[in-house]
Amino acid sequence: MPVYVDNDKCNGCGSSKEPPCVRMCPGDLMVKDFTTNKAYLRSKEDCWNCYACVKPCPQEAIEMRLSYQIGYFNAKVQPHILSSELIEWECTDTQGNVERFRIPTKYVPIAIDEEPPAEEPSTGADI
Amino acid sequence: MDQLAQFKRVAIDTDVLIIGGGTAGCLAAVEAREQFPHLKVTILEKAHVDRSGCLAGGMNAINAYLNAGETPDSFTKFVRADSMGIIREDLVKSQAELFEYCVKKVESWGLPVKKEADGKTYMVRGRWNIRINGESLKPIIARGARNSGAQILNWTVVTNLVVQDGRAVGAFGFNVRKQEFVIARAKTVLVCTGGAAGLYRPNNQHDAQHKTWYCPFNTGAGYAMGIRAGAEMTSFEMRYIALRTKDVIAPTGTVALGANAPFMNGKGENFMQTRWAHLGGDRAPTPIRAYAPIQEIKEGRGPVYLDTTHLDREGVRKLKEAFLDMYPDQVLYWLANEMDPGVSPVEVQTTEPYIVGGHCQSGYWIDVNRETTIRNLFAAGDVAGGAPYKFVSGCWAEGVIAARAMGKRAGDVKLADVPGDLVEREMRRVYAPLFYRTKQLAQLRPPDFEHRLQKILEEYAGGSSTFFEMNEERLVTARKQLARLPEQFPFIEAHDLHDLMLAHSVMDRVDVAQTLVEHLIARKETRWPGYQTRLDYPERDDAKWSVFINSRKDPATGKLEVLTRPYEQIVPGSRYEG
Repeated sequence: MPVYVDNDKCNGCGSSKEPPCVRMCPGDLMVKDFTTNKAYLRSKEDCWNCYACVKPCPQEAIEMRLSYQIGYFNAKVQPHILSSELIEWECTDTQGNVERFRIPTKYVPIAIDEEPPAEEPSTGADI
Repeated sequence: MDQLAQFKRVAIDTDVLIIGGGTAGCLAAVEAREQFPHLKVTILEKAHVDRSGCLAGGMNAINAYLNAGETPDSFTKFVRADSMGIIREDLVKSQAELFEYCVKKVESWGLPVKKEADGKTYMVRGRWNIRINGESLKPIIARGARNSGAQILNWTVVTNLVVQDGRAVGAFGFNVRKQEFVIARAKTVLVCTGGAAGLYRPNNQHDAQHKTWYCPFNTGAGYAMGIRAGAEMTSFEMRYIALRTKDVIAPTGTVALGANAPFMNGKGENFMQTRWAHLGGDRAPTPIRAYAPIQEIKEGRGPVYLDTTHLDREGVRKLKEAFLDMYPDQVLYWLANEMDPGVSPVEVQTTEPYIVGGHCQSGYWIDVNRETTIRNLFAAGDVAGGAPYKFVSGCWAEGVIAARAMGKRAGDVKLADVPGDLVEREMRRVYAPLFYRTKQLAQLRPPDFEHRLQKILEEYAGGSSTFFEMNEERLVTARKQLARLPEQFPFIEAHDLHDLMLAHSVMDRVDVAQTLVEHLIARKETRWPGYQTRLDYPERDDAKWSVFINSRKDPATGKLEVLTRPYEQIVPGSRYEG
């Protein structure tokens, strides 16, 4: 049981057509619903639990949960990007005890909306 | 109206076409742009380069590096013994020569490599390993590729290579976000799409079925397009069965090497030392370190653990930190199950088999420049064969080697014409699942097809439920059942472009599975216990089988021919001592 989007926190990244979670999922599994303006996981069977969508969410609205068959409620591991050089992991066990880890990194910021490529691919070839 | 008219045809012309913007692809793009700035370099990536593929979650170590006192020769000798005496020594040695070049390069882009107190020496984790803080490893190399000036097309799923007169001239693909079909013409083509997960039934089911070690989005597309194009493949029978932590299937090197944890069975015995000392004990070859725990469980001495109970509070914190950099689910698992690796040992298990040329050596048969048997088609990383123990840095090295050769070659090659009827035919094949709707009550959706494929391999070709063992008659049954699957392709329904990607991922895996089974049938010995255990040929047979098993599918007839290629020893010494 993989990532969940907290609908109270998710704002769909405003007018973004492709919010960071939608762009970063290596399995193309996050989708923005333009009616509700919220992101969601299209298929929980297909999530790899890689945190690629969790880390860049500006609202910290995406939470990782293990499938219940392999882990009990209500533990949590939440990354916080403190700076481009430091990531903090807030780790909460089933009793609510919290342990924090601050680890050096070189975080590459992910824009809310990606700039379109400067040059559209040419349609030059004769086909 | 013709159904295909809704899809815009996008034509790309390029000098160096890179299929897959992952570990090998990003480094290949940078090398090509740096060495040959006048050339156009294009990456086709099925997700978004920033977090696609194996490295999405991060990495906490570089596991192929020449630490002080080691040489390309000593590395090659080690890998040869680890792979039970058969590797392409020319390939392994040439990648080792570039480990330092690649690691220093990525470090210069910002990757935090951990250092000793002197601030210079890399912090060693094992004989060939150094420690990194690689949570952002993928975005870092993706930024390198972007900054190089390479053209990057995200969301582009490549479906087939274009080959004319034995030469690669381009590739076809579709966009998963837009109704666009890509026709790429190229002077040189590099396949670096990764290996294949999802062939066998995974360890976990339902909403944890993708809780696999290998990236579940690496679905063998690169192998499949090469097989269909008639490229020669090698060593598919050397499946990779990984020893991983129980349930979350996280890498165990972090525990065994990173925390110095020895094996232990349910009786509290270090079975590697007592039963497998003759093969190196806790440092036995990788296949043996997967095979031995399987035997412990089979013979009634499970569960199997890596014993971490010697760790103090600081040691446990360091272990958790290492997993957060690569596989945070391991930490979440300990929290969710109230486990403390300092108090109780870490239980381990073996994964379902994967086909992956970066750990084992299944993949394209290539020369030392990483050119395949199809001219102007190169392969690097997990999809390239003959060179196990690549991991991240070896994939980088192969990308660099291929890029250097491709840049030189591109000067001598002209772009070819891609005939319109070929484009038309591929578009019809690619989009067919979008247009098929059954009139029956039951639909055949990509996951249904996937489960059928996994059931066949699981039950007849050495899945985990049969302790990964196999024999000729069961393999022949697998061959027969797999042969029926392509007839069923026309019934697969895709309801959107994401679905279409899934549909192709399962169809591609049928090509991979058929090749795999032919290789498993062909090797009539047990070379790699666990990876390839033949109950009917239980011993290693050096006199007869010190060869590579290769295969080639004739694109004209569809017939798969199996052949052997000689093993050549370059580095002197015993093949079984590393």
